[in-house]
Amino acid sequence: MSNGRILAIVIVSVTVALIVVGTLWPIPAAVAMASSGSDLLRPSTSPQAAVANLADEIGRLAWEKAYSSLANNNEFTELDFVHDLTGSYPSLRAYATLDSFDQQPLHASADEAQIQLKLHWSTVVGSFLDTRTLRVVKTGDRWAVAWPVVKEPRVPPQVIPVNYLRWDVIYRGPEDDWAAQDVEAPHVRIVDMHPVERGDGVIIMGELLNEDVVPAYVTVKATLLAQNGSAIATEDSFDKISHILLPKQVTPFLIAFHNVSLSDVANIHMEPSASLIAASADPVIEIEDQHLNPAPGASLSGNLLNQSGQVVNVAHVLETFYDKTGQLVWVSDQFVDRALLPQTPVSFTIPIPADIAAKVASERAISATYSSGRFQ
Amino acid sequence: MKFRFAFLLAGLVLAATQLALTQTVVLGLPKTIEAGSAFSIQSTGAGKAVLYIVGSGQVLRRDVQLGETTFFAPGDLHNAGRYIAVLVGASSTENGEFDVTAARQPAALSFLAKPSRLPVDLHDGISGVAYVFDTYRNLVLAPTQVSFQLSNINGAVQTRTVLTHNGVTWTKMDSAAKEGAARFVASAGNATSTRVIQQVPGDPCHLRMSAQPSGQRLAVVTEPVRDCSGNAVPDGTIVTFTETYKGGEATVDVPLKRGVARTEMPAYNGAKLSVATGVVVGNEIYWGNVR
Amino acid sequence: MHKTESVAPASRPIPLSMIFMAALVVHLPLLLMKLPLKSYDANFHIFFASHYLHNWFDPWNSKWYAGFSQTTYPPMPQQWLALLSRIIGLDMAYMAVQFAAILLLALGVYRFSLLWVDHRAASFASLASVFLGSECFLVYSAGQLSTTFAAPLYLNALPYLFQWVRHGNRRSFLKGGMLFVAAAAAHHVTLLFGSLLFALPVLALVILDRQHSGRGDRERLSLPVFFFRTGSIVLVVGAAVALVLLPFWIALIHYPVTQTPIPHPSRANYLLSPQWGLNYFVVPYGALILALPFIVWRGSSVARLRPLLLGFWVALLVGLGGTTPVGRLLLGRAFDVLTMERFSYWATLLALPFVGLLAVELIDRFQMRAVVGLTIAGALTCGLAVAWASYRPADATDFKVDTVASWLNRDGHDRYRYVTLGFGNKISRLAVLTDASSVDGEWNSGRMLPELTQYGGGALTSSKYFGKPGLDALSAMLHHADRYGLKWIFVRDPYYEPLLVFGGWRRVDDLEDKTITVWSKEDVPPAVPVNAPQIPPRWQGLMWGILPIGSSILAMFLVLIPERLWHRRRVLQPSATHENLVLGRLAS
Repeated sequence: MSNGRILAIVIVSVTVALIVVGTLWPIPAAVAMASSGSDLLRPSTSPQAAVANLADEIGRLAWEKAYSSLANNNEFTELDFVHDLTGSYPSLRAYATLDSFDQQPLHASADEAQIQLKLHWSTVVGSFLDTRTLRVVKTGDRWAVAWPVVKEPRVPPQVIPVNYLRWDVIYRGPEDDWAAQDVEAPHVRIVDMHPVERGDGVIIMGELLNEDVVPAYVTVKATLLAQNGSAIATEDSFDKISHILLPKQVTPFLIAFHNVSLSDVANIHMEPSASLIAASADPVIEIEDQHLNPAPGASLSGNLLNQSGQVVNVAHVLETFYDKTGQLVWVSDQFVDRALLPQTPVSFTIPIPADIAAKVASERAISATYSSGRFQ
Repeated sequence: MKFRFAFLLAGLVLAATQLALTQTVVLGLPKTIEAGSAFSIQSTGAGKAVLYIVGSGQVLRRDVQLGETTFFAPGDLHNAGRYIAVLVGASSTENGEFDVTAARQPAALSFLAKPSRLPVDLHDGISGVAYVFDTYRNLVLAPTQVSFQLSNINGAVQTRTVLTHNGVTWTKMDSAAKEGAARFVASAGNATSTRVIQQVPGDPCHLRMSAQPSGQRLAVVTEPVRDCSGNAVPDGTIVTFTETYKGGEATVDVPLKRGVARTEMPAYNGAKLSVATGVVVGNEIYWGNVR
Repeated sequence: MHKTESVAPASRPIPLSMIFMAALVVHLPLLLMKLPLKSYDANFHIFFASHYLHNWFDPWNSKWYAGFSQTTYPPMPQQWLALLSRIIGLDMAYMAVQFAAILLLALGVYRFSLLWVDHRAASFASLASVFLGSECFLVYSAGQLSTTFAAPLYLNALPYLFQWVRHGNRRSFLKGGMLFVAAAAAHHVTLLFGSLLFALPVLALVILDRQHSGRGDRERLSLPVFFFRTGSIVLVVGAAVALVLLPFWIALIHYPVTQTPIPHPSRANYLLSPQWGLNYFVVPYGALILALPFIVWRGSSVARLRPLLLGFWVALLVGLGGTTPVGRLLLGRAFDVLTMERFSYWATLLALPFVGLLAVELIDRFQMRAVVGLTIAGALTCGLAVAWASYRPADATDFKVDTVASWLNRDGHDRYRYVTLGFGNKISRLAVLTDASSVDGEWNSGRMLPELTQYGGGALTSSKYFGKPGLDALSAMLHHADRYGLKWIFVRDPYYEPLLVFGGWRRVDDLEDKTITVWSKEDVPPAVPVNAPQIPPRWQGLMWGILPIGSSILAMFLVLIPERLWHRRRVLQPSATHENLVLGRLAS
């Protein structure tokens, strides 16, 4: 009987102990799934813990809890806070998930600290970084973050007349005989192409021109050929191109081949393709205030200004960089995480490799856009 | 006993051969027939037989009285090609071959005109290929005259007349200097086929813009954009305005609207404004420090 | 203190026929309503079965992952499903096979419980299995046909294992061995992990019984004999399993699961993630949670029950997922591959003999009040687990994929591969209905395409739920669309549209009242069969088509051979350490 009692006590005690261990020091799989309770385990007794808890809550979209934990929540509403992080209009931010975060203390005193919080958001088209410099203040025995809220501008109610062109296409029908006339595919031309070896592979950069008078839906495919004529690999430009080209528009493109050496490549077969599509000349996006920021952390920053009346949910900036002789040296791109509201500038920053930045003398930017609910 | 059986067998074979020889039939086939025309086939012999005519995509069957002429109505055989006639009699089969050729008179054209859209003023830019067919859509292999005619919107006409070779012929034409739809007509005999070729303006020429203040910004506008032949470049064509200023740059791709591209750019003193469309570069403006 | 034996009906064991009747009353209507079709995995099993239906001897299935081998998953339940489907169709065949598993479970729990408790408690344990939350959860919410099919076979095999090792009964060796093999042919995870949790307590029981045998007992078991008998059945069953599932082992050895782990909520800490605690602990255990103190107390008090308690305890701890570090420590890398709800299922099965004991004692003490209370507890447990499939459905919204399938099947669209986005586990149903091949699928261990295995994402159709790894996998696959002849994307979630728009895909059609849009890419060449080294050779296809289902048929025949009446010989009563214990046991 006593053995049984001891065994029961051991089983219960060990179980409780294991649960405590598993909760206080959760395994990575459990941490990844944790939805709440992290602040119970990590009370905000230090500036870092307060920031980490806030980031956790933001990651779990626990807005109410995150907002209520802020030291300055009397300065703005919860909706302002949520819109600051997710945007007021559908955009990449609205559906982003927090992949990870890291923080770097900048300054600390007994009752105030400054910490830089980097939020790594994951979206359907890639990741973006949201960096905030936070003031953390001590209230009693706990620390709380004073959130530097950025209120998103609201567009005043107005009517914006838009009368840009739109192209529609009527194709030949399946019942037409084989010689019947069809609409001609747009004529496009590669006007520039440079293969370079970089990192773990070969990169082909270039520019494609729609030399026709109708819009074109374009893509560029490249095949690397070996000395014996055999194909080494075939890739296409995927999202490193603006697929819709209006008449006389030029897009840069970049095609990456991983694990290939340029010395193995004897020839490159480029295959631009274009098809006729229905398209609209709207929206017009101005790319203004472009500045080359020198290394370290070389980048090109600027603002996008939507000159049209409709909201652009996702904008994609493609930048072509040229050297002093006008030769193309790099193509880079960036998705803009906030929606482009009419006549409202939105900033963007495109990183440039340090060695390339030194060569860049000029650049050229274009933008591609996505508006939800609009037939592409 | 063995010999008696051998004699009987030999006698039977002899008798059968004799009978067969007397019933041999002969087909009188034409060498060639024009598709769709009436024709007849003569047979010899006596008795009833069945006549089969087998060709590409067509089979005819007739019950015939040997020794009489079998008539075929116009249109009974209409596919050009080689045909086999097989006459199956009671005791023998006879066959022969003949050709059905396309009618000499063209009745239809298949006309491929490429491209359907091209820039103006392009030498040999338009190609036309014509296939000549008869009423029954048989390719007319005999040399036939085909006339190609390209009529532009301003009334200018280019004409070429060529002979077909193995049923096909082709030509090349120049696009006109003036934009607009051109009618490209191929005709052979009574058959005609029309295609529309859209002749569109070429690359812009002499692209020029001007700028003037508009509040805090600069309003930039191009002159009406035309190609080197004076045609207005179509609306929707992208014109790129670029403004470079100390340490910064602004770019905007604007589509032409009513012949001009118009936008607003930031106003910086000493800024350089440039304009381009496609690979054509226009003029430059130095704002605030005009050269 | 003497107890007066009750003559009330409740003091007698419940006949098995009544238990089967209860299973019929509870589960048959739910199955006839095809409720399991809403579960996570039911359509996955139906998809596998549909392949066996048309390609019995060819386990290479080209409809998922541009081609994968079904030898990566033991086939027995799906093959039975395929066979029955020729008569009643795939959906009803699934229900029939699942119902057979439920009946087998009642029988298996009864026979397994008899090793530990008396007939009466065993019958209550068996009846409890009908209402078991974890069983209902797996059947109606998770749709784990293979797990729920394999476990009853193991439970039915264990008494034979006991009889062989304890008494040297050769027929038991044969029957038990064959049932073990059949169970392995039904589910590999149950074989690799569950069998230890079930078999080790039984072997420990043999040792305990041996220790309690008198010196004069002619059936006294020496240790060498114990080890010989244990070793012999392990060897023979091991060899038979190796043979029956040879293509599976070959596939596993040549192509081990080295994929980046995919997160699963069953590995969460249920205190830090209470919603998953509700899903994976409260719902499967139900009223059994109230019995936990009794299980621990009684299991500790009675020496004979301790192996069972320890088996239950380990299964419970592992089944708690990331709530304790035990699962990670015991399973190692397998922890990141397996899902943990099956361990909770096994824990509840191991708990059932205790539940039987508790029910007997409660009924003896409180009579009708206990009967009512237990009935309510059982009904609530079962009801909650069944209803859970509606409260937390596998798919938030139900929708038809028939129009998508017919779109793919017409105009030569099936010459290209497709992928869906936002379809959840409807992709299995779609794969059953269409002739076209997809680069996606729901059987993660079967996938070989590097675009899918090198990231930690699950099915592409649910990429966004796997965060960055899932979206990286989707992006990588779209990058290589030409390589796989991937031309069509069916989108039911506009979330993915920006990726498609910027990646060069165009919307070409819409279906189901524009709730599903069809996207296409230009210049994609038609799909060609993937010439993968994983394609099983013909002899493996023959083995796969014959041996697994053959083992189950053979097991059925062997089990039907009448048992010698050895069980009439009284097995030594283990000494009770508690005066209220009911430990008389007749092994049958």
